Amino acid sequence: MSDTRYRLHPISALLNFLKGLKELVLPFLILFGANLLQGEGLPGRDLESLITYGAGAAVLLFLLAAGIIKWRRFVYWFEEGELRIEYGLFVKKKRYIPFERIQSLDYTEGIFHRPLGLVRVKVETAGGQGEGAEAELTAVPRADAARIEEVIEHAKNRVLGNGVSKETAGETAVAEENRREAAREIYRISSKELLILAATSGGIGVVLSGLAVFLTQFSEVIPYEMIYSEVMVFLRFGALIVALTVFISLLIIWLVSLALTIFSNYRFTILANDENIIITRGLLEKKRITLPFKRIQAIRVTENPLRELFGYAAVTVESAGGSAAEMGGEKIRLLPLVKRRDMLPVLERLFPETDWSPEFFKAPPRSVRFYYRVDFLWILPGAAALSYFFFPYGLLAFLAVPLSVALGIWQHRTAGWSAGRRQLTLRTRAISKQTMYVMRKRIQSAEVRQSWFQSRKKVATIQVTVKSGILGAAVRVEHLEKQDTERIMQWFRPQPDKEQEESPIQK
Amino acid sequence: MENQPKNHISRKGLTVWRLYGVIQTAVLTLLAAGGGTAVFFLDGPSWLYAVLAAVPLLYGFFAIYLFPKIRWERWRYEVREQEIELQHGLFIVKRTLVPMVRVQHVDTQQGPILRKYGLAAISISTAATVHTVPALVNGEADELRQRISVLARVAEDDV
Repeated sequence: MSDTRYRLHPISALLNFLKGLKELVLPFLILFGANLLQGEGLPGRDLESLITYGAGAAVLLFLLAAGIIKWRRFVYWFEEGELRIEYGLFVKKKRYIPFERIQSLDYTEGIFHRPLGLVRVKVETAGGQGEGAEAELTAVPRADAARIEEVIEHAKNRVLGNGVSKETAGETAVAEENRREAAREIYRISSKELLILAATSGGIGVVLSGLAVFLTQFSEVIPYEMIYSEVMVFLRFGALIVALTVFISLLIIWLVSLALTIFSNYRFTILANDENIIITRGLLEKKRITLPFKRIQAIRVTENPLRELFGYAAVTVESAGGSAAEMGGEKIRLLPLVKRRDMLPVLERLFPETDWSPEFFKAPPRSVRFYYRVDFLWILPGAAALSYFFFPYGLLAFLAVPLSVALGIWQHRTAGWSAGRRQLTLRTRAISKQTMYVMRKRIQSAEVRQSWFQSRKKVATIQVTVKSGILGAAVRVEHLEKQDTERIMQWFRPQPDKEQEESPIQK
Repeated sequence: MENQPKNHISRKGLTVWRLYGVIQTAVLTLLAAGGGTAVFFLDGPSWLYAVLAAVPLLYGFFAIYLFPKIRWERWRYEVREQEIELQHGLFIVKRTLVPMVRVQHVDTQQGPILRKYGLAAISISTAATVHTVPALVNGEADELRQRISVLARVAEDDV
């Protein structure tokens, strides 16, 4: 099989075309929109609009041709234990990836893929240049994807157990099959969880800000004067209607984000075998990502105040390398939303070595002022300025003072740490409560930070950095007892005979 | 702080930082002089002269004298068999611990000013962070780089 060269499914030409189109959609809209709005209605038959149409058609044709050529030139094959890919529109590129370097294959099935039984395959390696996957096969039949996986697994086994005759190869294949079968289902999102997730997700903010961005993009094109006069007419209908419209449009936005969240998290399922966690999700676009255990650096449990109130939490993992960036940051969502008491069994099954409910040391009572004192630096002048310029309503700005004090007290109460035998757990709050569980061997560096004010009160801040994606992610717990931060450092310090010394810090 | 890292960075590093301060202050003085000229020709209020004179003076005091002194006093490092410990920071004192097993590679760099003073900066990279010791005597930097890379290779993973 080594020399057969495979092509992608022809649909990938269409997908390339659509991808190109998506990138051009905004400039296009502006071009045509401007034409539409400046002229009276649709562009006529004058030369100018003909040129615009012509240019548009040329761009479309170019994109279409590029899509087709990209598909024609893309070939992949297996040779000498490597996945080899050759592609490129103008510049021909070759990429050879040794099988043993391939960490995982991630599948996505978009709406174009599904009726044809195709998948998009992303090949992940540990290196990860940050700019997307190491290699991406836009559209291959599902059977081919399975075959790729098989070939790769096969090759990996051959590297491990050297010298393979036909039979043993067959045996390993069978063993392989068994192991893949053995991926157990650990968790599946319930419809209740899905609904609550959708209703309380920050997706609303995303859609809103998206809308804002959209509007600012168009601000030059939109004829504000025309709209303005219409708005004046509109205003005569009274404030009630305005409020109603605002409410209804917000409601629609909310419903859209609700639907989007449901679509993308539909049937969110976690499977696991000895080496990998496999996450599948999605209704219209199905995704399947494979997350090797050995790449997981830290686990975060996040509870935003609303969800915390009802006992819900979200779990993300920090994973090293790869192009996880495409999955929304190097943080991969392990559990999008789960009741705390349902979460523990899942996490315990996935990560039996981790202690999920350690006993926390708290920040000392005297450090509470540090949590809100800095905020006064900007709140007080800001509030003073507002009161001066918008007297008397500006005085309301001083309400920010008790609010920030309350938040500070809350943050102080949440802050905590725990150092077990091999595991450090840090808990902090910005607004959402975050608990990070990390193994000592995954901590890249630790730092104690102390300002002059902190040193007067003998408190200090601890910060640890873990690898996340191709960069680091730092977690900080602020204003702890100085003695405690020293103890954490001592705990982190490598010792010649760690095995004996390795001891948890207890109360 | 108890048992600080024991090595200071090179004394000449202080000179280099002062030099940076001098350069910045010189630029600022030029700007202030320009501003003063503008005030003179535009008949600005005379207190502006005082402000324009005070700013470079104050800046000079901090950037040439005080801050480099504090920074230099604060900067400590120590390379032990299993770990590297750094201490630095002007307003916030930061003490960093990097286990030898986490060290991925070590670089030395040298800009024109550092070279003139026979200094080099050394950067220690882990998978997620980079830690820089800003001014070491050339030979010392090279020797340290060698030592770290040897130690980092020897150190075993405590999985």
